[in-house]
Amino acid sequence: MKTPSINTAKTASGIPALLKTACVNALIALVLFSLMVGVRTEAGSDGQLTYWTRFGDVASLVAAVFGGSIVLELLKQWIGPTGAEKLVPPAVQSGMSFLGRYLAPALLIFTLLVPVIFYDQRYILDLAILVLTYVMLGWGLNVVVGLAGLLDLGYVAFYAVGAYSYALLATNFGWSFWICLPLAGVLAAFWGVLLGFPVLRLRGDYLAIVTLAFGEIIRLVIINWQDLTGGPNGVSSIPRPSFFGIPLDNSDNGLAARLGIEYSPTHRIVFLFYLILALALLTNWVTIRLRRLPIGRAWEALREDEVACRALGINTTTTKLTAFATGAMFGGFAGAFFATRQGFISPESFTFQESALVLAIVVLGGMGSQLGVALSALAMIGGFELFRSLESYRMLVFGMAMVLIMIWRPRGLIGHRAPTVYLTKAHAISSDLVKEGHG
Amino acid sequence: MTSPTALLAVHGLRASYGKIEALKGVDLDINAGEIVALIGANGAGKSTLMMTIFGKPRARAGQILYEGRDITEVPTHEIAHLRIAQSPEGRRIFPRMSVAENLQMGADATECTDAERETTLQRVFTLFPRLKERYGQRGGTLSGGEQQMLAIGRALMSRPRLLLLDEPSLGLAPLIARQIFDAIRTLNRQDGLTVLIVEQNANHALKLAHRGYVMVNGLITLAGTGAELLQRPEIRAAYLEGGRHG
Repeated sequence: MKTPSINTAKTASGIPALLKTACVNALIALVLFSLMVGVRTEAGSDGQLTYWTRFGDVASLVAAVFGGSIVLELLKQWIGPTGAEKLVPPAVQSGMSFLGRYLAPALLIFTLLVPVIFYDQRYILDLAILVLTYVMLGWGLNVVVGLAGLLDLGYVAFYAVGAYSYALLATNFGWSFWICLPLAGVLAAFWGVLLGFPVLRLRGDYLAIVTLAFGEIIRLVIINWQDLTGGPNGVSSIPRPSFFGIPLDNSDNGLAARLGIEYSPTHRIVFLFYLILALALLTNWVTIRLRRLPIGRAWEALREDEVACRALGINTTTTKLTAFATGAMFGGFAGAFFATRQGFISPESFTFQESALVLAIVVLGGMGSQLGVALSALAMIGGFELFRSLESYRMLVFGMAMVLIMIWRPRGLIGHRAPTVYLTKAHAISSDLVKEGHG
Repeated sequence: MTSPTALLAVHGLRASYGKIEALKGVDLDINAGEIVALIGANGAGKSTLMMTIFGKPRARAGQILYEGRDITEVPTHEIAHLRIAQSPEGRRIFPRMSVAENLQMGADATECTDAERETTLQRVFTLFPRLKERYGQRGGTLSGGEQQMLAIGRALMSRPRLLLLDEPSLGLAPLIARQIFDAIRTLNRQDGLTVLIVEQNANHALKLAHRGYVMVNGLITLAGTGAELLQRPEIRAAYLEGGRHG
């Protein structure tokens, strides 16, 4: 009961400061907009300069900035950065922890039911598949960036390797999806190791630059190696996946005919949905398992302090390479799925923008947090579709949303990290954990 | 000084960072069961010597013998498997990982059974009860002294025969520093652990150590028992009265 009163007291004492901030922001807006918006100049009919003023617009913009900064400051005080958890009333806190415990299972059950609920809505099913693809990519990249702390700006390269591996193996040799899927993962992992070797000594910004270049190299090779990849024309008529050998089409030996039900194109979409869901859950499961093993702990320790890792006898070379390879492998799986879903791939699907998007998903979600990455993939991909009606303002709204999330949650949506080692007698430390806010 | 029973023997060791030579031919011996202190001013090469024993940077000349085996060219991560542990300068615990995970990291790189790990863990808790209280907390939330205890505890989890400690009292309150030194003494007496301790706090370190070495500009200039070195006028002038560390 004490906390809310402290909170209001703090807000009350903050009002002059609040108004000051808002005034300063409004003043800056006034200076900027008075020339940018306030005076409009154009060439007249005889080439002379004509101008007219739009001070009404300036006034509304400045007012919006004034109001906006007050709202922003208030929200900041309410939500606060992750360090200021004590400002949140206890009721909200217990609600959040309740939410935290049941959010992941609830989300999973909902996801499993999506094809049932939205069976008739093809658009939503397609969007769900897209979101899940990015959830999987996010989880894959999370191993490299979130756990091992290796900033990878070229993740799309592995996505591309996976996609082209499946596309080329399937179109040239007629191999089935289920044979090509592991091969695509293995090939992507191989390229991950190949990238890993030259960048072993690099960290942070330098690593980011090299991985960025690597992503571009893969794309440019795909464009220019016309004999193999078809260059800018891409690879088309990639076989659709089969239900373990049974095709999902309108033929006599298709799945629908065998089951004796009426054929519908939605069957294939639902199948694809569950396929990517299974792949994403596999990624999640493997990551969670690895985190509890020495190799996973070594990844996290490597993110924290490389020198200390070496002093403890950890082979930093293999640790880094396995992180790259594991992340790349999941990227490869996702790529193979992408190829089979689209039926057509071209280098245009594997631009730097994709890498940036996946990285943004990981950072916004909270590095290392599996649930956070899933939520932010939903918000980024789903939210982006939600704002489709805004047309050209879509990017603006989207960018603003990202900035706001980073202001309020500097460590991402879910910045909390669950420890992986416990005392054998768990109850002996429960009170300590609660004190720390981990309960 | 070289004795055949030396656990670790360093002969004519040279190491450099680029063109700057940090070690210019160092000779040093550590016998099993000893505490050896290495003292010297900033930039004398104390930490470099410790790092070079661990293979980073590599020695350019000279030899490092551990239990009679030449480990000069052994890869860094394999040296830890030889039951040499290091608590690096500035503690370098893993701040976002819990105390439990930090300790586990020390045991991960070595092959030991669960029972052995549990015994070692209990030993660490006996030495540093604070770590048990803080078991579930993130390493970064510990105080400086607790972090130092964690760094030493983490090194002990690999069940070392030889422990290399780099400036364990750095930035600690005198009382906490004393606790750390007491723990080192206990480890040496009860567990028979051999310790090489690098310190600027010459007074404390020499009182704790059986023998000491003084390092100046990448060379060992003086060696002797801890008590002897404490009495030397040049030591008193350079590291005790002048610096007022202790």
